[in-house]
Formats: sequence, C-alpha cells, structure tokens
Amino acid sequence: MSGDEIDFWEGKGGAVEKGAGIAAGEGNAKRRPLEPGYIDVPENPDEPLRLIASYSTEADTYYFPRRYRCPRTEAPVEDRLLSPVGTIYSWTYVHFASMGRVKYAESDGYGVAQVDFPEGPRVQGVIHGVMGDWEIGMKVKVVLHPVAVDDDGTELCSYAFQVVSGDEK
Amino acid sequence: MTHFARDVYVVGVGMHPFNNRDTKMRDLAFVSASAALKDAGLRFFDMDAVYTGYLTGQVMDGLTYAKDLGLSGAPITHVENASATGSTAFREAILSVAGGASEVAMAWGFDDLNNLTGVGVARTDMEGVILPAAFFALWGVRRMHDRGTTVETFAKIAAKNWNQARDNVNAQRQAKHEVTVEEVLASRAIAHPFTSKMAAATGGGGACAIVATKEVAERVSATTGNPMVRVAAAAMETEQYTEGHIFLGATVGPGEMTRTTARKAYEQWGYGPKDLSMVQVHDAFPIEELLYYELLDICADGEGDALVHDGATALGGRIPFSTDGGLIARGHPGGPTGLAQVHETVLQLRGQAGSRQVENARAGLVQMMGGGSVCVIHILERA
Repeated sequence: MSGDEIDFWEGKGGAVEKGAGIAAGEGNAKRRPLEPGYIDVPENPDEPLRLIASYSTEADTYYFPRRYRCPRTEAPVEDRLLSPVGTIYSWTYVHFASMGRVKYAESDGYGVAQVDFPEGPRVQGVIHGVMGDWEIGMKVKVVLHPVAVDDDGTELCSYAFQVVSGDEK
Repeated sequence: MTHFARDVYVVGVGMHPFNNRDTKMRDLAFVSASAALKDAGLRFFDMDAVYTGYLTGQVMDGLTYAKDLGLSGAPITHVENASATGSTAFREAILSVAGGASEVAMAWGFDDLNNLTGVGVARTDMEGVILPAAFFALWGVRRMHDRGTTVETFAKIAAKNWNQARDNVNAQRQAKHEVTVEEVLASRAIAHPFTSKMAAATGGGGACAIVATKEVAERVSATTGNPMVRVAAAAMETEQYTEGHIFLGATVGPGEMTRTTARKAYEQWGYGPKDLSMVQVHDAFPIEELLYYELLDICADGEGDALVHDGATALGGRIPFSTDGGLIARGHPGGPTGLAQVHETVLQLRGQAGSRQVENARAGLVQMMGGGSVCVIHILERA
C-alpha cells in the first residue's frame, strides 16, 4: 500500500481539508466521529453536518463513502461534501433493541433508511425516531449517532438521519 | 452449447441434513462428502481437485476435514464468497473439469451460520452494524411502494416454501402441519414488513457435489443407474455501477446483477426461461424470490405478484421455485447452501425427488447471491 493510500482515511485531498470529519469547537467537545473521512462536522454547531463523498470529474458521479478512485472509470476522485438534506428512498424498522454494541433502552428497535442525496449517492443508515415518524419521499438531515464511548468519555459517533421539520427544508 | 472446452456432468450429490443442533463442522463435512461419493460410486482418491466452502470455520478447516476422507494428495482449495460460497466452489470444480485440469472434481460446503452471531458486535465502525434482515426489508418496503405488493404476498411465498419442505428430510424446517399465511404473518416481527417465519432458517449443514467429464459420467451412470445430468451453463458476475448504488457495508446489491447473470447463463445454454422446469434462488426473505421471478425473466417486471397468487411458482405450478423449501425452510448454513440447491436440482432431474418431484423435470436453474455483491447462476439439464 502506498503512502497516499495510508493517508486516505485521514481526510486529505480534494475540497475537504485535513481534519475534516473530526468534531471540533465548543459544544461538540463530547462527541466526535468514530472514524475520520465520513462526516464533516463544522466548528459552528449551527451549521449542518454533511457527508463526505468522492467526486469523479471523468464520470461526473459522486460516491459515498469515499473511494480510492472512480469505480466506473478508474480515474482519480476528489473529496466533496454532499448536500445536508436528502430524500428517503426506502426504510424499515428493525425489531431488535440492539445494533452491534449499541443498546436501545427505551425502544424495541431502530429504523434504517436509504436516502437519496441531490448529488446522486444513495446512503444507507440508521434513522432516528420510531415507525410512523417517516415515509418514502420525506426529507431528512444528517445527524450524529453515538455508537461507542472513548476512554475520556467522548461519544464516538457514526451518522444517522433525522426527519427535518418544515422550516429546515 | 456451453462455452466450456468440454462438457461437464454432475455425477454425485450428498448432504448432511441442515439443522440447528450444533452438529460439529467435522461431522457436517464428513457426512455430506461421504454421501456424494457414495451417490457417485467413487472414492475420494478419484477426486483430481477439491474446492471447499465455509464462512464460519477456522483456518485450514477444509484441509483438516479432508483428512477424514483420505490423504489423496489432490489439490484442495478453500473458496469464500459469502452466501454464494458453495455455488462458487461448484463453479470452480466445473471449470477445473471443463478446462482439462481434472477428470473429476468435488465442491464441498460445510458450515454453521450460528457462529456468525457476533456480527456487528466484535467491532464498532461506521459500517457493517446493521442487521442483514434490514437490507432485504428495505427492498421489500420499496417494492410495496412501487408496485403495491402486500405483506400477504410475502407471507404467501414464505408459506409455500415452508410447505414444500415438509417432506424434505434434509430441511431445517419440517413443519408437521400445513403452514398458513396467517401463521407466517403472526410470527415475531423482525424487520418491517418481515416476520421470523419469512426469514431464512440459519443453522448448520453440509452439501457436496461431484462433477466429471462425459466419459466418467457415462461410467458412473452405467454403474449407479442414475440418469446423467449435464452442466448447461455457469455464469457469475460481481457488481457494476447502477443508479442509486450503495457502497456502505454489505447490502443486497443491485438487483440487475441477477438479470444480467441469468441472461449470460441462458445464452450459454442456448435456451431461455420458458424452457426451465424449476428454479432455486437465494430466498433469504420472500422479497428476493418475488423479485427474482422478474429478474430471471420468468415474467415481466411487475408481474411477480400475480405468479404468487396464481400458484405458478408452487410445486404443481407452471415454474416451481424453491422446491426443497429454499433458504426459508430447507435452510441456509452459509457455505453449503448453493450446493444444496444443486443437490435438489439433480434429484429432480433424475426423478428422485419423491413427494416434491416436478413432473417431467428437464432443466433447472440455481441462483445464489453473496453479500449482495456477487451472483452465481448455474443451469443443469437432464442429458
């Protein structure tokens, strides 16, 4: 593996600067992405979270998660942020109160959605809420989803989706 | 009509019944291979190559369990392709014979998916922690939205497969009564819209198939009295980019993969879906079987639901699917599953399927998906 490939998950290259994907700034001190390279967490907590995708100029196609190279043309790709809001393509509700090491003490399971982003990628992930809170075609935003806790008490997060309210659309 | 350099035949099949009784892998392996060797009237020392398949075993399991059969010195190769592991081992054995490297080759799967209970627990990362059931449920919900498919249709497919396994001694689920749609719907919810009785029966099992040249097959047939079964097509594809492609974690993958792989298989065969007598598919949940009716070109897009309600895909219908109960009832131990499909199809083509026998069975298609990322299809026909 080349040095460039080792740096891949450090979030280097393209439009997203080094360090993107690592939670920073007051207000987010207790949460950060479990791994870099998936989620861009702005320093200003009022700004929306965005997923970090790869863009292939040659194929004019976005991919999530990031790719080493364009899977359609083998051409180089660069990092681009996806829009903060996507549209539910499909969903389900899993009737098990655990997902890996994550336990859901106050519900009997968790939702999963496939979400289409305006740039093209369809992204699969947990959707917050309970069955009935969402349906196909609804708009959702990206939110942090705790999946583990670090030694210093910081919540390590994956991403999830949450239905947006009317004024967020 | 195949693309092979020479014809290949299935000369022996055997199984260790699929079950949920914590049978030792070593026993699953030995019993299934011994059954296939006995079926063919061959010795392990006759095998020029052996391809083993399992997902949950230890390092060297294939090599280790082969020692129970004999120290023949033959090349033994382990292959793994998720649920399509056994099908991939079968393909490798076929290609070994077709290409001239072997006169006789064995594809051998043994596994216990209960050993996969740590999925998503052993490590925490951004990917891979969502239960596989969810992937199929996402397909199901979208199908209901696009085509108006009902939960009852899914339940009807599941009940069909449960009932087709009732007399199958190798099936994990052998219901003692006729399973009803209402019973399937009333079972425990797993992932909306699917219930536990709609889910693949995961457990342990073993299955083995032996393939050989025409000359060997003729000898075996003369000895055993079994009709000859020819491999008419062997096609395999991995993912190609599709609109809405999902990369993160294991998914059910693009459905189009089954369509394009099947069309390659039909082209190799020289015939089409109307010429099939029966089909075995990766029915981990009923949404898959429903979609495969269409993706295998058994019917036009959107017409799969009608096949279910007409009984066309049940035993006695126009084109029976999952004649041995499929993954839902026969079971899905992992590595052996695709080889169990071959076992069932060979029995059907020989006329040895007992109460499940498809009348005048001439050709059968077997399809397996692996992690949604690979599709393997074979067509077998009575020679």
